[in-house]
Amino acid sequence: MPTTTVSRYLVVEDHEVALDPEGHLVDLDDWSPAIAEILAREEGITLTAAHWEVIEVLRAFYARYETAPAMRPLVKAVALALGADKGRSLHLMRLFPGSPARIGARLAGLPKPANCL
Amino acid sequence: MSHAKPRDLLVILRRGPHGSSQLREGLDTALVAAAFGRTVTLLFMGEGVTALVADQKAGPLGQKGTAATLEMLEMYDIDRLLVEASALEQFGLGEEDLMLEATAVSQASIALEPASHRLVLVF
Amino acid sequence: MLLHTLNRSPATSRVYQQALAAMGPEDRLLLVEDAVQGALPKLMRYFTGLEGRLFALREDLVARGLEGQCDPSVQIVDVDGFVLLTEEAEKTVSWY
Repeated sequence: MPTTTVSRYLVVEDHEVALDPEGHLVDLDDWSPAIAEILAREEGITLTAAHWEVIEVLRAFYARYETAPAMRPLVKAVALALGADKGRSLHLMRLFPGSPARIGARLAGLPKPANCL
Repeated sequence: MSHAKPRDLLVILRRGPHGSSQLREGLDTALVAAAFGRTVTLLFMGEGVTALVADQKAGPLGQKGTAATLEMLEMYDIDRLLVEASALEQFGLGEEDLMLEATAVSQASIALEPASHRLVLVF
Repeated sequence: MLLHTLNRSPATSRVYQQALAAMGPEDRLLLVEDAVQGALPKLMRYFTGLEGRLFALREDLVARGLEGQCDPSVQIVDVDGFVLLTEEAEKTVSWY
């Protein structure tokens, strides 16, 4: 669920973008690749083509199911979209170390996955 | 319908969409269990069969329904969906009216399900 | 053997039908809260086929003034009996 609590603002180009206390966009329509770059920098990640294709999978998942995926369904969605060699948790852990489902969702402009602990 | 190995969780859904939060809570419970690798069966009983009707929309005030969540079940590998045959009949619905592939089951096979799961939750 | 608990009156809610449908041949049914109304002789017809496997919680009967009105085929248990039934069962399923 998107939260309405604003914790801080990112300044992107000429406007401010509200973030909730966990660093997710308050208004999901604010998302742009430039915002993904800034959020990635906060996570210590430099986005490469391998990151962007997973971000696309995450955004497509949300557009279809209205929910950010937990790890298992994310692995499955990546496997379906990008092939079995990329649809592995190891690959996703390398791209988004720590918690791929949560960090991936944040960079893709999605709410925090509901069932991701 | 019998299983050599007991499955982990049977979620019995007996409420339709939109009218209460129980259907959503039941689905959320199933998703959490599946996210942790548990084997989950969903059994739609009584009014719960209406949760599977195709072509559902948001509520009149724009409230999100449960159809998108149901479509997502396969991404969580929740693919064993059972629906009470007599409830389908009661509502005048056939398997072809449902948005997902679900197996219509008789009362006799429903009675076998609770014992073949480690945990049974009713919503 | 599973223990099923039911807390809605069979006169009000159809959930009892789903509980009965999901019960195995050895399973037991315990009536609690408003479901204890089902222990009255006139309402027993909802629970045919459960002879020896139908229980009702004494505390909920007493609170409703129904303890003396139960059908003799219903076994009345107190909270300790409820605990015992739970222990004897492989698992418990609550219908509400």
